[in-house]
Amino acid sequence: MTTETIDAYLQVDNLVKYFGNDKAVDDISFGIPEGAFLTLLGPSGCGKTTTLMSVAGLHSIDGGRIKVGDTVFTSPKEGLFLPPEKRDIGMVFQSYAIWPHMTVAENVAYPLEIRKMQQSEIDDRVSEVLKLVGLTDETDKLATNLSGGQQQRASLARAIVSNPRLLLFDEPLSNLDLKLREQMRVELKRIQNEVGITAIYVTHDQAEALVMSDEIIVMSKGKIEQRGGPLEIYSRPVNEYVSNFIGVANLLKGKVIEVNEPGQGVFELAQGGKKVKMPCLLSPGISAGEDAVLSVRPENVHAVREKDDSTSLEGEVTFAIFLGSHVDCRVQWGDFEWKVIAHPRTKLKAGEKVYLSFDPEHTLAVQP
Amino acid sequence: MTAETLSPTRERSPLNNRLRAMMTQENLITFVVAIIVAGAVIVPLAVLFVSSFKVLDPLGWDTTWGFGNYVEIVTDRIIPKAFLNTLIISSGSTVLATFLGVSLAWINARTNCPGRDYLEPYNLIPFFLSPFIGAIAWHNLGEPQTGLLNNWARQIFGIEGAIINVDNIWGVIWVTGIFFAPLVYLFVVGSLRRMDPSLEDSARTTGAGLVRTTMTVTLPLVMPGILSGAIIVFVTSAGEFGVPFKLSAPYGWETLTTQIFSKAVGDDANHFLGAAMSMALGVITVFLIWVQQRYIAPRSFTTVTGKGFRPNVLDLGRWRWLAFAYNLMFIAVAVVLPIVCLIIVSLHPVWTGKIVWADLTTINYVKTLFWWRPDAIAAATNGIANSLILAFGGASIAMVMALVISYMIHRTKGFGVRMLDFLSVVPIGFPGIVLAMGVLVTYIQTPIYATLWILMLAYITRFFPYGQRNISSIMLAISEELDQSSRMAGASWFTTLWRITIPLLKPGLFAGWILLFIIFLRELSISIILFTTGTETLSVGVYYLTNFENEPLTAALSMAQTVLLLIAIYAFRRFAGREALTA
Repeated sequence: MTTETIDAYLQVDNLVKYFGNDKAVDDISFGIPEGAFLTLLGPSGCGKTTTLMSVAGLHSIDGGRIKVGDTVFTSPKEGLFLPPEKRDIGMVFQSYAIWPHMTVAENVAYPLEIRKMQQSEIDDRVSEVLKLVGLTDETDKLATNLSGGQQQRASLARAIVSNPRLLLFDEPLSNLDLKLREQMRVELKRIQNEVGITAIYVTHDQAEALVMSDEIIVMSKGKIEQRGGPLEIYSRPVNEYVSNFIGVANLLKGKVIEVNEPGQGVFELAQGGKKVKMPCLLSPGISAGEDAVLSVRPENVHAVREKDDSTSLEGEVTFAIFLGSHVDCRVQWGDFEWKVIAHPRTKLKAGEKVYLSFDPEHTLAVQP
Repeated sequence: MTAETLSPTRERSPLNNRLRAMMTQENLITFVVAIIVAGAVIVPLAVLFVSSFKVLDPLGWDTTWGFGNYVEIVTDRIIPKAFLNTLIISSGSTVLATFLGVSLAWINARTNCPGRDYLEPYNLIPFFLSPFIGAIAWHNLGEPQTGLLNNWARQIFGIEGAIINVDNIWGVIWVTGIFFAPLVYLFVVGSLRRMDPSLEDSARTTGAGLVRTTMTVTLPLVMPGILSGAIIVFVTSAGEFGVPFKLSAPYGWETLTTQIFSKAVGDDANHFLGAAMSMALGVITVFLIWVQQRYIAPRSFTTVTGKGFRPNVLDLGRWRWLAFAYNLMFIAVAVVLPIVCLIIVSLHPVWTGKIVWADLTTINYVKTLFWWRPDAIAAATNGIANSLILAFGGASIAMVMALVISYMIHRTKGFGVRMLDFLSVVPIGFPGIVLAMGVLVTYIQTPIYATLWILMLAYITRFFPYGQRNISSIMLAISEELDQSSRMAGASWFTTLWRITIPLLKPGLFAGWILLFIIFLRELSISIILFTTGTETLSVGVYYLTNFENEPLTAALSMAQTVLLLIAIYAFRRFAGREALTA
């Protein structure tokens, strides 16, 4: 069952971790190439942080194998467990974990002192890294006198100062305010790129994941739901869970009644006693006659006033809010309320009758 | 594909690999400490329990198994009365200490009483001083013939006889009550300070007056703290040896502790009867501490908000001067009068109740402090030296243990952790004299008996939980990620402990160390059971002087102890926060 990526730098195979009798991580495997930025995305309790801690070595694992390059980090079957300090990893914690009894420079120098480097080398390297993260002016400040964003930068500097082979992030932006968070996303990504280090990033914030990652792994209940690039995860979710977790989607129950070409078919909606057929794309593993869920992003639902051949549904606008670049609408169809994003020039108003049309390329039948 | 890969389970490696994986610095050290703690806490209590069923035959040659000791507890001429006296004294001092503690805490935390910030440290001083010394001082203040207060009353007001007499059960309640009032104070004052003022304000807006608001809103909100404090006072009073020994036992009111002492340590010592009496006392105190820890302490944080605002205080109007006078009165009777009295008495060659200016002398200090002089009293000079050794050494060893235990409880997971957490509460349930009986019957035939080591062992076993709590409260407040990030930076477990964890814990370590230093420096009820000639402690020295010498010599050594304690208290105030106190 091992999904061996040929040139994987970090390879996690069949990882299992229990807390008491609960399986926090349930047999997951993945690999990433050197220099990549991978995000583990999911709600709290999905096992993403447990996976990260397993890679870090901050707790033991109950099954599987974790390897970076040629070094096996841990493999309980072989009785191998490399303590965290021997793994050569940099890590940025949710609370930043900047030591309050040291200055910024002392914090950043710590990993180098542990590695018994020359003092002059340490000084050079520390000022180089502090420059990279933009903390040149705060060198001698005590960590407690830093703002949240500055602590974040200091924490990153400390994590990369020893040129580790792996950089781990545990929800590093969740304690910052929205504006700073948006700014730091770009900063973190820039620095990671510049250093060229392989990174794993854990977050529950889908926007963060979409902006920063080369690849995203969506997790739920200790298992991997889907893995792919940001665009793929967003536009081709494989199941209802991923559709719902990433972005906003209209999700309707129904059945696939026909499979035409591979990957394309016809979906039958059953809602309010009415049955409607719609051409759609099929996510992998769905065949004719199976129950499935139709997933359509609001921006891919087109609402028009005039009925024509392309329209398939008739509904009533229940509300429309003008938001500048777009209009956020709700369209009642039977007992289902469609979320629709319309162009401002359509000038839709509440109470109007509208017709909805769909683009088969952006209408997906996914697994429930 | 095998069944194992189909349903992954906890994989097992070969035994030798697993063993090697377990041999980390962290696991080895924590395992060793866990064994030491378990041995130190469990063994004496188990031996005490078993010994209480050994019945000594009338000639004292042999023992048989049975319930004879327990029968004797019930049928003895004195013990049942002593038991009753213990209950009366504990109840009385609990009522007094709770009333004083709550009222003083309320005045200091919730009202505009003048000089609050200056008074608070003095309110807490009795907590650190020795109640035994308090009893000696109050004996010299309130004895009918030689009591200073009674003499002043005769001189100034010309009355006949005495206005007060503290040499009875009420005197014990009085001294125990005022000395343990700060315990209740500490349990209550924090919650009162942190209480959301809008809770009181909203009661006031419904039309409730000041008194009604205080009685129906303020005090019920801090009730868990009050109950916790009251239970601790009850248990501590029941285990208190020095005060009843000085004030009531010589006049016919024995207590359980004075009976344990005279039956188990006297000339016709019967350790097994002492063990049974200790069991009886221990069962009561353990039950009460269990109730407090299990049901009352967990509720004490639910009533207050965690916000750090300074609540507005109640304006008492003219009554604030009454509150001020009340607070000054407490400090006068608990701190100033006793110390002044000890100084006066200690400067007289003999004490008759009157100050004789012409006779003033320092000979008592010379005899108790100057160990090189031929007329020095060995019990006193040995006591000072031994207590300093025990306080420095014991506090240091206990804090190292406390550090490792706190670390295990808060930073590691697994079976041993719950047991350690439990073991760190158990000693709090047993009065010192009970634990000392356990240590005595366990080690009496080993080489450590009659050395300072047995005292050190008993001190640490009984009191390391106080140090552990000081560290734990800080460890809970600092994020585990601070440790973890050091490991990720490449530091080993030990380096992390040394360079990150310990520096961050420094305030708690220091506060805990001084607290234990103070406790060990004044310890009596363990020492009195375990000391032998040569291993007297400071308080045992005081006991010796009050029993076999005279009051001025006793007062002189008492003052020496008090001065040492006051220096330690000053250091504690200086370096540790107010929060470090709550036991």
